[in-house]
Amino acid sequence: MKIRLKLFFALFFASLGLFAWQAPTVHAETTYTIGTDVTFPPFVYANSNNKYVGIDMELIRSIAKEEGFKVDIKPLGFNAAVQSLSSGQIDGVIAGMTITDERKQTLDFSTPYYESGIVMAVAPSSKITSLKGLKGKTVAVKTGTQGAAYANSIKDKYGFKVVTFDDSDNVYNDVKTGNSAACFDDSAVLNYGVKTGLGLKVVTKPADVGQYGFAVKKGQNQKLLKMFNAGLAKLKKNGKYDQIIKKYTGKTATSKTTKSNSEDRTFLGLLRQNQKAILNGILETLKLTIVSIICATIFGILVGLLGVLPNKFARGASTTIIYIFRGLPLLVLALFIYNGIPSLTGTKIPAFVAGIITLTLNEGAYTAAFVKGGIDAVDSGQMEAARSLGLPFGKAMRKVILPQGIKIMVPSFINQFIITLKDTSILSIIGILELTQTGKIIIARNLEGFKVWAIIAVIYLLIITLLTLLSKWVERRIND
Amino acid sequence: MANLKVDVSDLNKSFGDNHVLKGIDFKVANNEVVVLIGPSGSGKSTLLRCLNRLEAPTSGEVSIDGRDISNIKTNIDQARENIGMVFQHFNLFNNLTVGQNIELAPVELGKLSKEDAAAQAKKLLATVGLEDKYDAKPQSLSGGQKQRVAIARALAMNPDIMLFDEPTSALDPEMVGDVLEVMKKLAKEGMTMVVVTHEMGFAKEMADRVVFMADGVVVEEGKPEDVFDHPQNERTKAFLDKVINV
Ligand SMILES: Nc1ncnc2c1ncn2[C@@H]1O[C@H](COP(=O)(O)OP(=O)(O)O)[C@@H](O)[C@H]1O
Ligand SMILES: [Mg+2]
Repeated sequence: MKIRLKLFFALFFASLGLFAWQAPTVHAETTYTIGTDVTFPPFVYANSNNKYVGIDMELIRSIAKEEGFKVDIKPLGFNAAVQSLSSGQIDGVIAGMTITDERKQTLDFSTPYYESGIVMAVAPSSKITSLKGLKGKTVAVKTGTQGAAYANSIKDKYGFKVVTFDDSDNVYNDVKTGNSAACFDDSAVLNYGVKTGLGLKVVTKPADVGQYGFAVKKGQNQKLLKMFNAGLAKLKKNGKYDQIIKKYTGKTATSKTTKSNSEDRTFLGLLRQNQKAILNGILETLKLTIVSIICATIFGILVGLLGVLPNKFARGASTTIIYIFRGLPLLVLALFIYNGIPSLTGTKIPAFVAGIITLTLNEGAYTAAFVKGGIDAVDSGQMEAARSLGLPFGKAMRKVILPQGIKIMVPSFINQFIITLKDTSILSIIGILELTQTGKIIIARNLEGFKVWAIIAVIYLLIITLLTLLSKWVERRIND
Repeated sequence: MANLKVDVSDLNKSFGDNHVLKGIDFKVANNEVVVLIGPSGSGKSTLLRCLNRLEAPTSGEVSIDGRDISNIKTNIDQARENIGMVFQHFNLFNNLTVGQNIELAPVELGKLSKEDAAAQAKKLLATVGLEDKYDAKPQSLSGGQKQRVAIARALAMNPDIMLFDEPTSALDPEMVGDVLEVMKKLAKEGMTMVVVTHEMGFAKEMADRVVFMADGVVVEEGKPEDVFDHPQNERTKAFLDKVINV
């Protein structure tokens, strides 16, 4: 027992050490991690190669080139990006963010790089032509955006209800399906959408005109902010800025998306076009699954064994750990580790590591519970007989109890592995580009919700089937 | 007293509010066979389990071979190597073969090499009449066979005292004889034994002393012929009437 326990510990800490060692490299060579939205065309969106493009993307990349630093773009979604910025997980955010007094309390903004106002868009067949037409209706907006703030500020005056979504395509879809009567968004965004075949029409003049800025956490990364301002000034001077704006809002922008509209929209076509992105998503999901299964199993077995030691404190600790991490919703745990802890300690945790820690704690707690249960299910006479022969507790456990307990636990292990695989999808919330997040991003571009989610679902089922077959094979070998 | 194997004095044991053993004095000499009888729930098993600290005494002293078992500073694992125990429900290790059951403790505790342990296991199986079961799984044995393997397993550590807690109570009647034969053989070889049993025949034939317990106290003890034929205490009489009349 001792040797194997030591091995477990060694492995466990080695993997932790590996993560800890990974962390500082994020900051090396003045690479700045920049958070952005999943989709906010023409400012930020993934093109058909799933590369992030748009006004914001081209600006930040050009400025980085001008000023000699590197950027690592993280499409976290607007809300998550701002949260990650305030917790210090990322260095800056560029996501078509309007500069407001409220945001200035926690963020430092660059000089404005774009000016935009809020407009209202409705379905093509809609009879609504002004704000007055919204009485008693529902209006869709995106969480945390200026459009949402504007809608909320006038909803009482015009008597409508506001419903919020995390992604723009969900906002537009809600209007198209008729659930919502209208949506509010930045004029540049909606005009661009209308031009590229979004299927909505803009019916109001820009209101609540605001300016877009690049943001860093208040008092932090001032060097980055200065470089952004300097770079922006240079781009404006040398004409590159105008070039970028024109590329995405001028006439040429339309032709670009006609091409994307003629994409093959069959299942096979979608698969082919997004092959690389989906493959990467699968790989990331598999990586998360395998590493979490290993860590959670080790953690779970240790905590489970702690729970059967003949020591009150050990058992209490085990019960407490299980209670806490089984009780916390996975989503809350992921956000707490990724956003909560860094905002307290000031040290970044890479999303992948945060994801692994989340799954290790949560799945490990479930594992610990059935490890404990499996051991308790072995007849107590077995332990008594072993101890009566003079075998110490550890030896009796390892030679007699565990081999019997493990047989009882095997089906639970298999079940837990499958649950772990499925739970990796929740980590899309912290911006890990695994299968689910990949799906979200593809849909954000092509709006083929049904087909893409169907493809993603089938892939999950395929992986789960493989995992199940593998586990059953292992189970058979253990039982022989 | 140099030849005192078991020396229990003023032993008390409570489970919560349940005061199970109430000041027991209990002594066993070297090579003595003591049979412990008494109604169900009187504390016989608890007393036996206090002898190798499967139950920790609430108060009082238990010493085996002069070693203070009730003291938590005593290395209990070492002490248990010399105290064999046989359980009512055999408790053979289900994940191991018969041979491995017998070899586990001597090998794991560094008493014997694997080869020597295997040789010893075969010899012990022969003495309990099961030489052909070396490779069998416990699940394939009858109750009587299991209990004889359990005795062989306990003997493998070469103990100098054996504790039996109703070794034949879970057996079909036709199996009881085989197990009792093995126990008689042991007794004749001079093993010190404490046996909880309802087999009055065994007690009459083999016991040097019979101890009758009721309600957590020793009510009466003596030579088997005295206790069985001339019980002094009313409760002993009542108990014997019931047992013998079935
Ligand atoms: N582990 C235990 N926890 C609580 N009570 C117990 C435990 N073991 C025995 N007892 C109680 O102690 C009393 C004596 O039990 P026991 O020693 O098994 O009697 P006997 O073997 O004479 O039938 C009974 O009342 C029983 O319920
Ligand atoms: Mg009993």
